[in-house]
Amino acid sequence: MGITVEVAGKTDIGCVRSNNEDNFGYDARYGIFVVCDGMGGQAAGEVASKMAVDTILTFYRSSSHTGHYPKVGEQFEGVTDRANHLASAIQLANQAVHDAATHHAAQQGMGSTVVAVSFEGEGSFYSIGHVGDSRIYMVRNGEIEQLTNDHSLVMEQVRRGLITLAEARVSKMQNIIIRALGTEPGVKPDLDDKLAQPGDILVLCSDGLTRHVEDDSIAEVFRNTPDLRQACELLVNAAKDGGGEDNITCLLLRFVEEPWYKRLIRKWFGWLLPGGGSPKWQNSI
Amino acid sequence: MAKLYLKFEQAVLKEYDLKDGSSITIGRLPDNGVHIDNLAVSGHHARIVWEADHFVLEDNNSLNGTFVNNRRVSRTPLKHGDNVLIGKHTLSYWDEARRGTGDVAHVESNHPTGPAVAAMEATVVLDTRKAKEMIAQQAHAQTGSPGIAAVPAKERIGMLQVMDGKTDQHQYVLSGKLTVIGKSDMASIKLKGWFAPKVAAVINKRDGKYYIAASEKDVKVKVDGMEIAGQKELNEGNVIEVAGVKLSFTFGE
Repeated sequence: MGITVEVAGKTDIGCVRSNNEDNFGYDARYGIFVVCDGMGGQAAGEVASKMAVDTILTFYRSSSHTGHYPKVGEQFEGVTDRANHLASAIQLANQAVHDAATHHAAQQGMGSTVVAVSFEGEGSFYSIGHVGDSRIYMVRNGEIEQLTNDHSLVMEQVRRGLITLAEARVSKMQNIIIRALGTEPGVKPDLDDKLAQPGDILVLCSDGLTRHVEDDSIAEVFRNTPDLRQACELLVNAAKDGGGEDNITCLLLRFVEEPWYKRLIRKWFGWLLPGGGSPKWQNSI
Repeated sequence: MAKLYLKFEQAVLKEYDLKDGSSITIGRLPDNGVHIDNLAVSGHHARIVWEADHFVLEDNNSLNGTFVNNRRVSRTPLKHGDNVLIGKHTLSYWDEARRGTGDVAHVESNHPTGPAVAAMEATVVLDTRKAKEMIAQQAHAQTGSPGIAAVPAKERIGMLQVMDGKTDQHQYVLSGKLTVIGKSDMASIKLKGWFAPKVAAVINKRDGKYYIAASEKDVKVKVDGMEIAGQKELNEGNVIEVAGVKLSFTFGE
């Protein structure tokens, strides 16, 4: 019995902003799933997040089939090779955004957050990596758990016991993040390795969702709505009902059991299936 | 369009509009665009000029110098949030349209005018050094002693001692983020024996804490004799039973 992934994603401009600086993309063939939230004036935020998503997908597209992943930047101990490949992809994206930001005056100071999941190879293990205040949640048996620690000033203060979580939620400094792609020549992503169980749902999202929708409300959506695409709609609408001050993006994954014969069919004839395993990504317009 | 705010200490004295393509002079004499009547300021102290697509600040060989964010400059491009010190006066440069990684000091300070409010909405990145400084400062203000909260506590490393069952080692140090117990290649705690499951249980490390969970619903994991549901945090002295092995958990340095 193998495990495979169902996926659905949606991004929305929200109710206040005039442009969408979020981007997401995935390529199910290589098990890579990415959400980025860009920042920087004059449309540079959109450029940064798009560039980050594309760089990460391209990294996997050009490396996965050979099994040779170029090492980019720092490699980390205590995590799997899969997680280090993701670290390389993220650090490559950092270089790309940082180069563009330093060479084009209009894009000066642009940057992006990133959350990414790599579910690759045999077995039920996956790796996650992130920079900034976008989040990954896991929903298992109706319980929700945040798998990432925001790289934001307020959450750092919470971790150090300087303020409480309740104070953080109303702080005026919520918009300050302490790590981002593209703002410095190097970046250190947070990495983790996880074991998937059939039925687990992962939520990759930008802060436009989590500022307005409480963790429990996210879990609630999945208790009532088994369909991932519907769940996407509901989550985005909930954030808009809550004010929709920022762009809202969520990318949902569900791990499902796959019988061996279906696995073989997908492996050999996947290209024949409608949309089977083909790459998908979107431009934020 | 960019704006300049002329400030003395915390008070805003005057504001100036900078239209793209325009330039403005700064000095003590009345013929300057920004007129600062103070002896610390040279007659024609400095000027701001448009260059291709951004504003550049030029010091005009002034006696007391021009400082941007506390660094003496002779010529430098201006970016959103820059503070230009001339004599005892400050010129704050605001440019929402071309804003980049703004100066967070403004978000913090009780800026009397509009820009701080506008700055709240967009995400701002602190560079690593600034972030450390800010957090250390706040820790200092709260605890009264520098560096206590600024330095995270030393991480404890979990260890497992094998009490019973067939494994490849007698003791394991849980240094990785994920420790797998099973027969799989991924497993760092390798079970032996024919009927051992590929993956029996996993231990996740997060923020210095360790959590154990069964790999599947039909695998039983016991901690101190109690079967666990979902994940459970491991504490010093816990005894784990899974797939015929018995392990005791302790913290080491």
